[in-house]
Amino acid sequence: MGRVDRITDEHPMNEQKPKILVLATESCAYPGADYVGQIHASYPSNTYILRVPAPVIFPEAFYLRCFEKGIAGIIVMACGHECPYEGAYDRLARRVAVVRTRMRELGMDPQRLRLCSICTVCARPFLKEIHEMDAFLSQATTGSVTT
Amino acid sequence: MTETKRRVGVYVCHCGGNISDVIDVQKVVDGVANIEDVVVARREMFMCSDPGQNLIAEDIAAHNLDRVVVAACSPSLHEATFRGTLKRSGLNPYLYEHVNIREQASWCHKDDPEGGTRKATRLVAAGIAKARNLVPLDPVRVPVTRAVAVVGGGIAGLRSAIDLAKSSFEVHVIERAADLGGHLARPGRVYPTDEPAQDLLTGLLAQARSLPGLTLHTETELVASTGYLGNFRLTLQGPSGEPRELTVGSIVLATGFEHYQPSLGELGFGMSDRVVTLPDFIERLDPRGPTGGQIVKDGKPVQRVVFIHCVGSRQLEGVHVPPEGGRLYEHCSRVCCTTALFASIELARKFPQVDIFDVYQDIRTYGRGQEDIYEAAARAGVTFFRVAGDAPPTVEIDASGAITVRLVDLLTFNEPIEMPVDLVVLVTGMIPRDITPLIEMFKLPRSPDGFLQEVHPKLRPVEVCVDGLFIAGACQAPMDVAEAAASASAASAKAACLLGGDVISLDPFVASIQAELCDGCGLCLAECVYVKALTRAEGETVPVVNTALCKGCGMCAAVCPHEAITVRGWEIKQYDAMVDAIVATGGHP
Amino acid sequence: MNTITDAVVIGGGIAGLQVALDLADQGFDVVIVEKEPSIGGKMISLSKVFPTLDCSSCICTPRMAAAAHHERITIMTCSEVQAVQRVGEHFSVTIRTRPRYVIESACIGCRKCEYACPVLVPHEFEGNLGARRAIYVPFTNAMPQVALLDVENCTFCGACARACPTDAIDYLQEPAITEMEAGAVVVASGYALTETQTADRYGGGKLANVLTGLQMERLLAPHGPYGRVLRPSDGRIPDTVAFVQCAGSRDHSLPEGQGVPWCSRVCCMYAIKQAMLLSGSLPLVDITIYYMDIRAFGKGFEQFYQNARAMGINFVKARVARITEGENANPVLRIERIEEDGRVEDQPHDMVVLTPGIVAGWDPSSVIPVQIGSDGFVLSEHASLAPCRTRVPGVFVAGTASGPKDIPDSIVEAGAAAMEAANHLRRTAYASRRRTEAEAGGR
Repeated sequence: MGRVDRITDEHPMNEQKPKILVLATESCAYPGADYVGQIHASYPSNTYILRVPAPVIFPEAFYLRCFEKGIAGIIVMACGHECPYEGAYDRLARRVAVVRTRMRELGMDPQRLRLCSICTVCARPFLKEIHEMDAFLSQATTGSVTT
Repeated sequence: MTETKRRVGVYVCHCGGNISDVIDVQKVVDGVANIEDVVVARREMFMCSDPGQNLIAEDIAAHNLDRVVVAACSPSLHEATFRGTLKRSGLNPYLYEHVNIREQASWCHKDDPEGGTRKATRLVAAGIAKARNLVPLDPVRVPVTRAVAVVGGGIAGLRSAIDLAKSSFEVHVIERAADLGGHLARPGRVYPTDEPAQDLLTGLLAQARSLPGLTLHTETELVASTGYLGNFRLTLQGPSGEPRELTVGSIVLATGFEHYQPSLGELGFGMSDRVVTLPDFIERLDPRGPTGGQIVKDGKPVQRVVFIHCVGSRQLEGVHVPPEGGRLYEHCSRVCCTTALFASIELARKFPQVDIFDVYQDIRTYGRGQEDIYEAAARAGVTFFRVAGDAPPTVEIDASGAITVRLVDLLTFNEPIEMPVDLVVLVTGMIPRDITPLIEMFKLPRSPDGFLQEVHPKLRPVEVCVDGLFIAGACQAPMDVAEAAASASAASAKAACLLGGDVISLDPFVASIQAELCDGCGLCLAECVYVKALTRAEGETVPVVNTALCKGCGMCAAVCPHEAITVRGWEIKQYDAMVDAIVATGGHP
Repeated sequence: MNTITDAVVIGGGIAGLQVALDLADQGFDVVIVEKEPSIGGKMISLSKVFPTLDCSSCICTPRMAAAAHHERITIMTCSEVQAVQRVGEHFSVTIRTRPRYVIESACIGCRKCEYACPVLVPHEFEGNLGARRAIYVPFTNAMPQVALLDVENCTFCGACARACPTDAIDYLQEPAITEMEAGAVVVASGYALTETQTADRYGGGKLANVLTGLQMERLLAPHGPYGRVLRPSDGRIPDTVAFVQCAGSRDHSLPEGQGVPWCSRVCCMYAIKQAMLLSGSLPLVDITIYYMDIRAFGKGFEQFYQNARAMGINFVKARVARITEGENANPVLRIERIEEDGRVEDQPHDMVVLTPGIVAGWDPSSVIPVQIGSDGFVLSEHASLAPCRTRVPGVFVAGTASGPKDIPDSIVEAGAAAMEAANHLRRTAYASRRRTEAEAGGR
């Protein structure tokens, strides 16, 4: 479990790059990602953004399942303290920390899971998160980082 | 994978080149056309146009589609459009899934058309995967009682009650005291209209009493509440002693504020009858007040009066000492600068011989016409001294009763000033009223300043975290009469929006429990501490979701060891299916 | 378009949007008339908002979207109310829509025209610090996402028409007049700023590094013209920044148009907020706020102010008598201290932010007989008990159209105006009568 490079294969419909799953909140990060598109800023195409009202919904097992299925990295883009659901952000942060601990126990690099806050016009922080994760995973798949 | 066969229609939009210039839309269509359950897969120049929408409608009819996926621009632009298309075609609008391949694909992968096409194909495949797992949803409908309880009979409460009664709701004003009006019932004139407060109150009361459907309950307290938005069952304790039940759809809290009461010895308070608070001074200025409008010392008119601002406001740790068991009031009370200056003008007008001094930190005459009041006070001869917040003035009263005020004046190069005065007016602030029983009854949060905490100061300024409960006036923050009236009307508007129909229609995205998977561990109950939408009856295993309260945050779903809880419309198994589609190897069959 | 509605709301800023939503959610039909090409008003251009420091766009866009998608709300942009006439108990509202030269129903907001246009002109939305094309979507998160052509600067080269995938460009579009029948009118026409920077004492508008508060908002916004705070003269990161409070307010000496005698109510707080954001993004920057009184009066404001002091932002009670240009295009402030020894000194800064006065954005009295105060803002029927009712029955006012106001106060007042308007509509039974008539008319 947890080998980043196991998902790449030779089929033309599969990218050669590890896949990044972005879980983006409906009220902040998802419109933030739209904003990045509206200003025509570029980022790697191996990113798959899924809209979610509150990422606090995902159990720990969901993240581990994603990795097991072959997702290389997950970025949870939340609203931070502007979260419309009371108590949700703190719980989310705690859960992500727990998953990262679990990943370490499983011999996976916890950097494959990140949590950040992205606002509706946060183009630069959005791009920074994507590029950092992409750079980290590219490095990981070439073998210099144990995963 | 789903067991039931679905009939999915998939539509990929060119967006006039905005998508198709980067993404090979034919490839996307080909890549998903053979996915299980996909009955039709098409591309079209503009899906949002009438021809595009008609295409969907025709396919629904011709191919008996039961799920629709459109890949186009952001859902923020056209998700509602296509839900409408489904609805018009006789399908449940929630059997629709929108895939964003413009803002989140073609526009951000211009330099990588191949990667963009690959991504778009996988996103559409993920959309199909979600669509196959969609179920029809209906809005949550909560029956309502078209009645409102307004707690508090001051300016905010009366204003709110009048608004709602005019909207033909049944309204009950619940006032603890024997008389209505709150602080407005005291003698004194109010800015900016320079009218006696009591005249304002008389007008409001006459209006309130003339409205059918508006009941004023004085000497009555709200002692218990059960139920939730739409139907709160309240218990009132009236003067007769017999508790009375009342059902209302919504509650407006207009419990007001209290004037800060200085502690004994604070700036000479309580040590002399010539050290008074601003509200008491304003009463004395009024001919209807306790002194008949006379301000005297030893039977003679006073000569020198000093106003000291920010008493009980803008308090600093290490400078001010809270009373035993009390707290510091760090907030600015907003209205007292103008109130004090307004009173000093009236003082100067009535007693031209009086020397008036004003000791302040910042003069905060922020409102419309208030700067004029400040300027008028200066023209009326008020002498201003400015002190630093951490160096407040002192008030000394000697054995003969003579009062001396000492301060360091920042306006005259830190000159120490020592002045004998006849009367000290402490410009006291507004502090939160003790409404502990109500706070406990509804589990209301308070702001750091102790006032009631609104959900969001800009998005939802008159709402609290309890659905169906609104806040009006100075229970939320210090405000003047006009501001309290506006806040009250805003709260009324929210109640009127909520109770307008026979039912409240809410989003269908609420938690739902699959009873056969639940082992009754109760972990979910501990998560739902804010909105308390999850409850479990005594002796039961499976908790029950109150769909009227549930916000669909999913905190409960995440902790269920058996994933027995889902949020409708955003189910974890739908996400799993989407991730499966994204990672599927070998392309899509 | 249906030319009968319950209420016409003049202005699609945050106050107008809230009025419209609170009326529509009570079941009334609303038409928002917005003179700009997008709704969102001033708020959508702000960076973060005090005292919670949340992102302005994140608060404003959901309101814009809610109004745009509401089945009872119709939005007319590039439109102005030309006349309001009372007809019995209702109003006949004449609305003039300026041509966009782009067919609104056809435009998909893709900006292909914008990318094809060869013309560059200063962008008003960016406080003229950035550039736009002669055909453009007003700004990135504009609503509606529809382009408009600025004929003043267009060269009619035809590039946009060739680039448009939907043939939406129409160079021959004419202004359109709509006669709207409505039961109530709400004035939420907002505010404008005085041209304080053009005053001789503040450099006559010629000093590159003297900005207005709204320009600073754009520099601080994550999606601003430079993407960060830089000096307009040389693109350098400023080391010292000064805020001049009451530059156009509480001032009887400036001529009309450059200053106002009243307090503009929001400048203290937005200067403190900008100072905090600046010190967050440029930790080494030295910030001074020259002020007369710090008016931190709202909920959480005083605590916000105290935090700013604790962060090391300098607060100096002083009047700024004049601004001149020194070396390296540095603005030099002539300071008259009100405290300490009262000395007069010249203080250079890398960048200066003026806080202009707030004046009414529009004078409605030319089209509706509402009363206007000597300050140019709409007068209420009763300033204490009915702050949102004008002296014309059926006409209401919300937000900064009745005086300077911060966002929370504007939003609360908008709710109140909606309540007043709703009760007026109920009392006159306008809405129900109109529906009965419509049904009788065989719809």
